[in-house]
Amino acid sequence: MLSKKLAIEVLNEMLSTGADYAEIFYENSHACSVAIENGKVSSSSYNITSGAGLRLLKENRSVYGFTSDLTKKGLLDLAKSLNKSFNGERLITVNKLEMIRGKNRNPIIHSYDDIPLEEKISLVREGMSEIESLKDPHIVRYIGQFANNHRGVTIYNSKGKWFSRDTEFARLVYSVVVADENGMETGFEGPGCQMDMSFFKDKAKPREVARKAAKTALLMLTAKECPSGKMPVVIGNGWGGVLFHEACGHPLEASAVSKGLSYATGKEGQMIASPLVTAVDDSTIPNEWGSIDIDDEGNPGTKRILIKDGVLKDFMIDDFNGRRMNREGNGSCRRQNYKYCPTSRMSNTYIDNGKSTPEEIIAATKLGLYTVGFNGGSVDPTTGEFNFGCSEAYIIRDGKVCEPVKGATLIGKGEEILKKIDMIGNDLAFGQGMCGAASGSIRTNVGQPTLRISEITVGGRGGELK
Amino acid sequence: MKYDKFFALAKEAGITDCELSFTTSTSLEISLFHGEINNYSSNSSSSYLARGIYKGKMGSITSDVYNKDSAELFVKKIIENASVIENDDPVFIFQGSEKYRKINTFNKDLGKISPEIKLDKLYELEKKIRELDSRIIEVEAVGYEESSSTSTILNSHGLKLTQKNNNYVYYGASVAKEGEQVKTGFDLFLDNDFNKFSVDELAKSVVKESTSKLGGHQCASATYKAVLSQDVVKSFMSAYISSAVAEDVQKNSSLFVGKLGQKVASRKVTIEDKPLAKTIFAKGFDDEGVATKNLTIVKNGTLQSYLYNLTTAAKDKVESTGHGVVGGGSKVGTTTWYLEMKAGKKSLDELCKEVGNGVYITEVSGLHAGLNPRSGNFSLLSTGFMIENGKITHGLDIITVSGNLVELFNSITEVGSDSKEFASAIKCPSVIVKKIAVSGK
Repeated sequence: MLSKKLAIEVLNEMLSTGADYAEIFYENSHACSVAIENGKVSSSSYNITSGAGLRLLKENRSVYGFTSDLTKKGLLDLAKSLNKSFNGERLITVNKLEMIRGKNRNPIIHSYDDIPLEEKISLVREGMSEIESLKDPHIVRYIGQFANNHRGVTIYNSKGKWFSRDTEFARLVYSVVVADENGMETGFEGPGCQMDMSFFKDKAKPREVARKAAKTALLMLTAKECPSGKMPVVIGNGWGGVLFHEACGHPLEASAVSKGLSYATGKEGQMIASPLVTAVDDSTIPNEWGSIDIDDEGNPGTKRILIKDGVLKDFMIDDFNGRRMNREGNGSCRRQNYKYCPTSRMSNTYIDNGKSTPEEIIAATKLGLYTVGFNGGSVDPTTGEFNFGCSEAYIIRDGKVCEPVKGATLIGKGEEILKKIDMIGNDLAFGQGMCGAASGSIRTNVGQPTLRISEITVGGRGGELK
Repeated sequence: MKYDKFFALAKEAGITDCELSFTTSTSLEISLFHGEINNYSSNSSSSYLARGIYKGKMGSITSDVYNKDSAELFVKKIIENASVIENDDPVFIFQGSEKYRKINTFNKDLGKISPEIKLDKLYELEKKIRELDSRIIEVEAVGYEESSSTSTILNSHGLKLTQKNNNYVYYGASVAKEGEQVKTGFDLFLDNDFNKFSVDELAKSVVKESTSKLGGHQCASATYKAVLSQDVVKSFMSAYISSAVAEDVQKNSSLFVGKLGQKVASRKVTIEDKPLAKTIFAKGFDDEGVATKNLTIVKNGTLQSYLYNLTTAAKDKVESTGHGVVGGGSKVGTTTWYLEMKAGKKSLDELCKEVGNGVYITEVSGLHAGLNPRSGNFSLLSTGFMIENGKITHGLDIITVSGNLVELFNSITEVGSDSKEFASAIKCPSVIVKKIAVSGK
C-alpha cells in the first residue's frame, strides 16, 4: 500500500494540467498453481503481479499508464509523463483521502495462503484417482490443476476517496484426452469460486468434476458428427448461458453502447427480446465467481436488470464511458490487473428462471438439438454476430433425448436470437469462465435455465438433420 | 552485480543449476475516436522468471519486480515448487549453444520519429477510412501502438544472452452499412521501419474488410470446393502444426503420433519455421537459451520433424530444435517463431477460375471454441463469397464451415502465390481445398 501522503502527491501531479479525474490503481497480487499429469505432479508455480496503473480523465479523453517501479520516483515520473497529454489549468486539488468501507460479500475464512501445497495436491489427486478408477483404455492423457489467486488492490482517486480490497479465488480444472482408432476427443471441467477450500469439499467435489470431464470425452468418442442447417435448439442450463454472454452481454457493455457501436444503442425501453426473457448482471451474489464488492474505480457492485420481460432496461456502465451516455458508472468497471485500463465488463450474467420444466421443453421438441456442454464463443458487438462451440450435444427426436453428436457450433445474430427464445425453464444454474476483452481476462459467471431457441443455424459435418 | 545475491543464495540452498530471465519493456498506445484522442497510454514494466534445479527437479517463480527481498523469495519458491514435482522428465539449465546468429530486431530510427508525426498519420488514417466509401458509417477505432523490449537470460553456467526488439502497429476498425445490413472490418500494419507504413494502403484495406462483406446472404447447406484466403489458412495451419509439438506426440495426444516421415498433407504443402528469416519476429535463441535454426516441418506433404525443447528432445534422444518457451510454471512449453507455408505460382483469380463453382472463405472466427486441435475437428463461423463460373460473385453471410484438419490439409490441390504475413508471425498464401462443409440456409 502507498502512504496516503505519497498517494495525494501523485494524484496532484496527475491533476496539474487540467485532468478532471485522476486515479491510482495499486496492485500486489500473487497466484499459485499446481498440476498433476497422468498421476504425477508435473508442474508447480508461483507468480507475483505487482505494479501501479495511473488513469487521468478529461471530458471524453482517457490517459493511462502503468509501471512496475513502485518507488516515489517511479510513480511521480509516470504521473509527469502522463499529465503532458493535457495542457490546461489545474481544476482539482486533492487535500485528503477518505476511506470507503464497502460490504464484504465474499469473505474468505481460511486463506489459501495458509494451505500447504500438499493439501492442494491431495485435492487434485482425488479427482485423478477417480479417472484412474474408470480403467478405460481409451484415456491417454489426463491433467488436473488447482490454481488460486490472491488479489490485493488499493485505489486512490481525485474524489478524495481510497479503498483497499483483498480478493481470493480458486479454480479446479480437469482435462482428459481420449482416443480410439478413429481419432481423439477431449473433456474439460473447471469449476471456480470466491470461497475457501470448503467449496471444493462441499459443492464442486473433485471426484465428481473429474468423472464428468472423463465421461464427456468418452461419450464424444462414440458420438456421430452433428448435422447442420437451421433447427430448434434446446440449450442446457449453467454454461449454456455463454450464449447470452456473447449474443447480448457484450453488446450491453457501455464500451460499445456509448459510442453507438452496439446494436442495443438507443434501444432502452424497447422490446429487444422475447417477452419470456429477463436478463440480469449481478455482482452482489455472495461468493460467486464473478462477484465484486467494489469495482475497479470505486463504485459498489450492484444488481442490474438488463432486460425485463423482453424490454431493454439497463447496461453495464463504467464512469468514463458513462460520460458519453450521461450516466454514472454502475459498478461494472473491471480490469485483469494494473497493466490494463479498466472498462465496463460483465460479472455474473444470466437469464432468469421461466416457468417450464426442462423435461417439458425437451418433450415439446419434435426434432432438434440439445446442447449441454460448451467450449465458449465470441461476438462482434457491432453486428451482433456470435458463435459458440458445443462440447456435448444430443439429437432430440419426438420429445426424447437420443444419440450424442459432436462438433456442433451455433451461430447467429444476437438481436434475432433473443427474439426466438420460445421456452424458458426453471432450473437456473451458473458456469464459471474467463472472459477476454479490452481490459484483459477477468472472471465472469455465465448462467441460465434450460431454454429453447425456435430456430438457429447449426454448423456441423453430419449433413441434414433427419 | 544486481543479481549475484540470487545466484549465491541459490547455490547455498542446494539449487544445483539456476537461471534468471528478465524482460524490461516500454510501450505507447494511442487511439482516436471521432478525431480526438480517446485513449493514451504510456507504460514501462519488467518481468522476471527464476528457475532452478533442486534435487533433480525444476522449480520456478515469476515476478513483475526484483527488489531487495526478491533473491530470498525466489530461492524459497524454487525449492518449494521443485520439492513437489514427481514426474521423471529430464530437466536442464542450458550450458549454451556453440554459436548464436546475430539478430537485428531493433530499429533505432523508430524512436527518432517525433510523436507528432506518428499522431498526424493516425488522424489522417481515420479521415481516409471515413472518406473512402460512403457506406462507411463509423470508424470504431484507429490506433497506434509502439513497444520496445530487452530480454536477457543469465544462468549459473555463465550463459548470458540478450535480444532487443521494437515495433509499431497502426490499426483501424470500420463499420459499413447497406440497407439494414451492418458489417465490421479490421486490419493492421506491423513493422519496425516507420518508412514502410502507408496510410492509404491501410485505410483501403480497413474499408475493404467491412464493405466487401455487405450484400451477402446465406448459401444452401452443402459441401463445396473452396478457395481459403491467407487469413483462413493462417488459422488452420497454426492449429495443425501445433500437432508437431513433441510433448503431445510423446504423450499420445497429437494428430502426428507415428507420422514422422509420413504424409500429413497433400504434396503441394511445404511448411517451415523460420526464426532466422529477416523479419521483425526473428529470434536468435529460444527461452531456454538454445540457438534457433530454420526448420522444415512439412516438405511436399511429408512430416519432417517434431518441435522440441531440451526436455522433450532428451526423451527422444535428439537435439532440441530451439522451440522451448518458458511460461509461468516450471514446465517448459514449445512454440513456433515464424511459420511459413511455401507459396505456389497461381494468383487468386487463377485459383478461383480453377475452382469454377464453389466458395471463397475469407474469414473464420471463434477458433478457441469451434476448433479442437486434438481431434482436428472444426466448425466455425465464417464469411466469404460464392465463386460462380470461376468468378467471385456475391457475399456469404452467417455461415459455418466444418471439417477436419487432417482431411483439409490432405485435400489441398493448389497453393497460391499471394503470400501474406500476419502479426501472429505466420506467412501463408491462399489455397484450394477439394471440399468443405458449409452450413447456411
